Amino acid sequence: MRRLSKADSFAFVTCTIINMTPLLSANGITKSFAGIQALKGISFKLRQGEVHALIGENGAGKSTFTKIVTGALQPDSGELIVCGQSVTNFSPQAARSLGIAAIYQQPLLFPHLTVAENIALALENGVSGWRVDWKRRHLQARELLGRIGVNLDPKRIAGTLSMAEQQIVEIAKAIGADAKILLMDEPTALLTDREVDHLFSLIGQFRQAGVGIVYISHRLEEIQAIADRITVLRDGSTIACREAAGVDRGGLIELMVGRSLASIFPKHTVTLGATALEVRSLSNLSLGLHDISFEVKKGEILGMAGLVGSGRTELAKTLFGLSPAPCSVYLEGKAVHMNSPAQAISLGIGYLPEDRRQHGLILDMALDENMSMASMDRVCRMGLVQRDKEAAQGERYIHELRVKAAGASVAARTLSGGNQQKVALARWLAIKPRIMILDEPTQGVDVGSKSEIHELIGQMAERGVAIILISSELPEILGMCDRIAVFREKTIAAVLDRQKATQARIMALAFGHADVIPQETGKS
Amino acid sequence: MSCSFLVKTMHTHLQRKVRLSGIQWALLGALLIEIIVFSVSSPSFLTWSNGMEILRFSVELGLLVVALTPILITGGIDLSVGSTIGLVAVTFGLSWQNLHLSILSSAALALLVAGVCGVLNAALIAYLNLSPLIITLGTYSLYRGIAEGITHASVSVTGYPASYLRLGQGYLWSVPLQVFVFLFFIAVYGVLLHWSKVGRALYAIGLNTEGARYAGLPVKRYLALVYLLSGIVSGIAAVIYVAHLGLAKSDLGTGFELQAITAIVIGGTSVFGGRGNLFGSVLGLLFLCVLQNGLHLLAQPSEAIGVLTGALLILVVASDLLTEKLQIFRQRWERWRLPLLLAGAAAASILVIAAAVILRSSRTDAAEAADAHPRPVIAVMPKAKGDPYFISARAGAEEAARQLGVDLIWDGPTSLDPSMQNELVESWITRHVDAIVVAVANKGSMSTVLRKAREHHIPVLTWDADAEPDARDYFINQATPEAIADSLADEGARLLNGNGEFAIITGPLSAENQNEWISYIRKRVAERYPQMKLVTVLPSDDDRDKAFTQTQNILKVYPHAKLVIAISAPAVPGAAEAVQQAGSSVDVIGLSLPTICRPYIRSGVVQTIVLWNTRDLGYLTVYAGWLASQGRIPPNAAAINAGRLGTLDVRGSEIILGKPVLINKANIDSLNF
Amino acid sequence: MSHRIREIALCATIAVLMLLLEWRTTGFFSPANLVDLFLANLPTMMIAVGMTMVILTGEIDISVGSIFAICSVVMGECARAGTPMVVSLLVTIAAGAVMGTINGGLIAYIRIPSIVATLATMVALRDGLRWYTQGAWIQGLPQYFQWFGLSQSAFLLLCAVMVVVTVFLSAAGLKNLRAGRKVIATGSNKAAAHMAGIDTARVILGVFALTGGLTGVAAVLNSVRFNQVPSNSGLGLELKVIAAVAVGGAAITGGSATITGTVLGVVLLSGIGSALTFLGISAYWEKAIQGGIILIAVAVDVLQFPRKDNAHTLAA
Repeated sequence: MRRLSKADSFAFVTCTIINMTPLLSANGITKSFAGIQALKGISFKLRQGEVHALIGENGAGKSTFTKIVTGALQPDSGELIVCGQSVTNFSPQAARSLGIAAIYQQPLLFPHLTVAENIALALENGVSGWRVDWKRRHLQARELLGRIGVNLDPKRIAGTLSMAEQQIVEIAKAIGADAKILLMDEPTALLTDREVDHLFSLIGQFRQAGVGIVYISHRLEEIQAIADRITVLRDGSTIACREAAGVDRGGLIELMVGRSLASIFPKHTVTLGATALEVRSLSNLSLGLHDISFEVKKGEILGMAGLVGSGRTELAKTLFGLSPAPCSVYLEGKAVHMNSPAQAISLGIGYLPEDRRQHGLILDMALDENMSMASMDRVCRMGLVQRDKEAAQGERYIHELRVKAAGASVAARTLSGGNQQKVALARWLAIKPRIMILDEPTQGVDVGSKSEIHELIGQMAERGVAIILISSELPEILGMCDRIAVFREKTIAAVLDRQKATQARIMALAFGHADVIPQETGKS
Repeated sequence: MSCSFLVKTMHTHLQRKVRLSGIQWALLGALLIEIIVFSVSSPSFLTWSNGMEILRFSVELGLLVVALTPILITGGIDLSVGSTIGLVAVTFGLSWQNLHLSILSSAALALLVAGVCGVLNAALIAYLNLSPLIITLGTYSLYRGIAEGITHASVSVTGYPASYLRLGQGYLWSVPLQVFVFLFFIAVYGVLLHWSKVGRALYAIGLNTEGARYAGLPVKRYLALVYLLSGIVSGIAAVIYVAHLGLAKSDLGTGFELQAITAIVIGGTSVFGGRGNLFGSVLGLLFLCVLQNGLHLLAQPSEAIGVLTGALLILVVASDLLTEKLQIFRQRWERWRLPLLLAGAAAASILVIAAAVILRSSRTDAAEAADAHPRPVIAVMPKAKGDPYFISARAGAEEAARQLGVDLIWDGPTSLDPSMQNELVESWITRHVDAIVVAVANKGSMSTVLRKAREHHIPVLTWDADAEPDARDYFINQATPEAIADSLADEGARLLNGNGEFAIITGPLSAENQNEWISYIRKRVAERYPQMKLVTVLPSDDDRDKAFTQTQNILKVYPHAKLVIAISAPAVPGAAEAVQQAGSSVDVIGLSLPTICRPYIRSGVVQTIVLWNTRDLGYLTVYAGWLASQGRIPPNAAAINAGRLGTLDVRGSEIILGKPVLINKANIDSLNF
Repeated sequence: MSHRIREIALCATIAVLMLLLEWRTTGFFSPANLVDLFLANLPTMMIAVGMTMVILTGEIDISVGSIFAICSVVMGECARAGTPMVVSLLVTIAAGAVMGTINGGLIAYIRIPSIVATLATMVALRDGLRWYTQGAWIQGLPQYFQWFGLSQSAFLLLCAVMVVVTVFLSAAGLKNLRAGRKVIATGSNKAAAHMAGIDTARVILGVFALTGGLTGVAAVLNSVRFNQVPSNSGLGLELKVIAAVAVGGAAITGGSATITGTVLGVVLLSGIGSALTFLGISAYWEKAIQGGIILIAVAVDVLQFPRKDNAHTLAA
């Protein structure tokens, strides 16, 4: 990222003088993907020298908005004004040259190069010169890391860094880029307290220099400590923008949640059977899970709520054998070691993964081929695929699940998100599972398909399948589940009964603020 | 290639029941065009026997193509299949010959070895997750190396029972036997890849390995399976190949892996995985085999095949990628589809016509005019086109052809390759040339096809190295091996004063006439010069640079050796250069050409070389061939009139060129071949 | 990633081999033999330097043997036509660079997978060369062809200097030139490289062109050792080179390789052939031993750094 040119510096200085002009101003930003409206009209203003927090649940629209501000995505409508100038056709390069930098949750580093070089390559874009000045690079790296207050050796190879350390490098890159507008997405997620303190003093320095920071985080106490203003997003809209001094955590939580449950299909009442799955003090060190205990009965839907990274998907992978752990899982009382997905399937466990496009389906294969993939033996005779049987099964599911497709032999890639998800689900219906783990089954799915999927889940419960429903959508969890396990930091914080659960309560548990459960409002 | 637009834009459906992709339609079209072009320009192309010969020669490679296709579909690769063939072949040969196992037991043992080869690849690639490219590069070297090690690269096992040889050389209902084996494996793999659940999983693995895992597919197990099968199928190919050639040697199958991969990629399989089918691979194979056969029949040089293949490979992949990119803009290009199709068809037709015209006109002009009086065609094959010895013989052959007014086909493998020699003779039989004159690389493997030529009433002569006596009409012998060996031994003794150590550098360790000379040298030395001691025989593989290095080694490892006898034409200059650069006083003599030894003879490093006039030899091949084709050699002739060579002796069925000539400082300047 | 460990292991292996040879044989370490070994493996060394960079970008080049053969013939033909040696040399290197550029263009711009593109050029170039030469050697070269007209020892010095310079320049370049860092970055993470504004296509084109040029240099230095040029040299050269780079610790997926490792790999693998002769073991075990070393070198990597189950691709 190039250093600010003279012209930019001039503009910046001018900007500072005319203190009224916000660094960044977003009005009415909308964006939709494949029929799903991710942003319904975001407005956001960032003043100079301000730390402006952006909070909201999973899927509220924060990352989409970030991508638009950094130029990675184009908004469908609305305007974006940077330093008084309206920007159109924004590209990442243009954003960079305007002084916008972002620190994402997923670091994009060169694993084989050193920390110093990773930083340098990001900052040396466009710098001319044949020779590499290693001295300068190391000094630069040391200086930047020092500013963060972190004791990271610039000579270390990036691939050997922990996630936290990688994130620090990303922060150093952004700092080095002399950004005017800095977006930080969960910057403290993997930092120790000491490192957080250093980061905050750094943010203080930025503030004094007039840099504007958009601070996205789930950690409400941090936000209260550092932010000047807080904007709350919900379902793709800006709900509120408050001065940080004037809100308490309970109020924030209330703002984040609180929508009607009308869209959810009412839950079926099902008589619960015997315990299908039980887990006692399960740990999986490689994924960070520890001390997880719960049970699911036949016909029961156990919800799993929590923030991103709280351990729900990790648990799912452990239960499905994708990440073997030395612990046992009890299926109808019998202890089993889960070693592989094939074994899990043979034991009647199905898993609808979170990443539909990478893991849930093979996009370039046909619908019926995808549907039969986990239950090949059912459409095979002596190991040979009975195409007509498979096609018939495909057509049947397409009909039953109301999948909008030209036929069972089209490629999964050609379907919309909701229809793809139905096909992915059909794969697991085909194995006639006893236990079904659903990981964000309606994420990125249109409203119509959503309710259809909910209906299917309900039907599965009626048939006696024990269901684990992992979701970040609270209404969905509250509407569908009998009990809700709330995850926090790779373990279960609490298991709530359906009657006792409210959105606010779940959120509070997920955030770790069980002490500030707000007043129950009529809405939940 | 324009058909791909048609097909791809016609449907958004995927390959179902092995539906062909655009590339494959184009390939099918190209194959048909190829067949048409060749049929038009060569009358003997479109015959049953030629077709069967094409099939026969494609079987061994075809088995590899079939076994490699699923591996490429998973996004992997196996470069070790050719080497596996070599190892399995020698295992088979040696267990039959040395361990005296029956043919069946030998084959079983050989297939067991093949399985081990497959297992090693499978374990390292599927279970340890290592890069298939590097692992199979390692096993490519390892398996070939073991084969060479246990046979010293020299042993070639021949003399198999006829019942076994039928597998590779016989017919069933006029179809070569091995074709049935091939069809069987095509069926097996077709079922595996396109019908069974394993095949379905392989495609999934190639498209998205993680996704396949999430669906519960046993990824590791299936990957291990395809690599294991690849080893076993290579083993079967080896057993057939040995029957085909009548010969088991460690260098069998060299280069097959790359040819197989070429065929598969041309057939529309992507090296990234997930795309392709068996039909396309077989199509690609047929295309290449027909190309090779057609060019041979037209007496076009074999080199054209390589160049065309390379160009084709690039064209196919590039156009595949291009059409994929264009898919993205499909809507925009919808209206251009028809004009582009027409343009493509027009371009293709122009190319076809141009190809036919070029191929026709590149036959000698005289052939066109002389269709009323067709000139006799004499086909002469050297052991290796690249050997200077044979290159100088060619000059003489061309001279005789001009003098007699006959058409000369001079073609052969570029380096020692009995399989290629076999194939060429087959195409000559199909063409029905007027005489075939071959320098036989391997007696055992050539004799069958030569006998076949005689059955077709084509006179067969051999030169430089003989086949089995009943496989040919005459053998043009430059000099008896004994005379050659004696000249060398005597010269060597003269230089050493009958006393001292010496070493021999030969061509490849498996060359039969060189081995014959070596044994006669040993005999001569034992009889007459008992004080002379042969310390080592090292191979140079007819490579100048290797002879150079080997001689350097001799100078270091056997410092008491005072003489090096190099009995391969490129080896003498190599050995001489090594001696000269080392400033050594070791003498070098051998069998080589004056032109390439001249500087060394002049400087005295090389004292003597023994040879005969290679130009004359070449001249004689064509002349004698012509005489035979005209029936001008009476059955019990004691002499023939060989043009400018005068009268030559005929002893039994051997036509003797003359005595070996000693070439040294005295006469080097007057000789120019 | 811990190339140091690999390099130390290779040094140790070479040391053990040397001790074995010193103990069991005489003459292996004589200057004459070492010189011969050096000259005989000069092509492998020069080309392996270029191949290291190709593999660093995550690609592969199996056509170097054919390029070598063509460059040798180009050198011979130029000399035979009477052009001064320096001009012939430059023409040959240019020819190599051009062929390398063609490879690079096919791979970087037309996006043909590198294994397929270089397979195609390997076959086409070699057969094209055979067609042109018809197997004939290039003879009748002027006196000054051999060793550039220098004395044998002067030529040896020249070669040594060339090798040392090439090795050092490339190692230094990879470390200290921005262009060199771009090579490694391209292979390490292409997406991040794009984000950092690196033109990865140009980088890939560059390394293939460079490898072609180095092959030309190797061809020149090899052909002037003799006074005739055969028409079919360099058979199997690509295997030797790739094996050396792999043994030297390069990751075939790119981003991780060192010139030092490659040099050690060349030394180890090329010493084997000669060592076998001196130890009295049949030289025909050479390929087997080389293959074994490759397998061990790669397998050892995995035991040291257990990999996670990632997508299993060839083209990587």
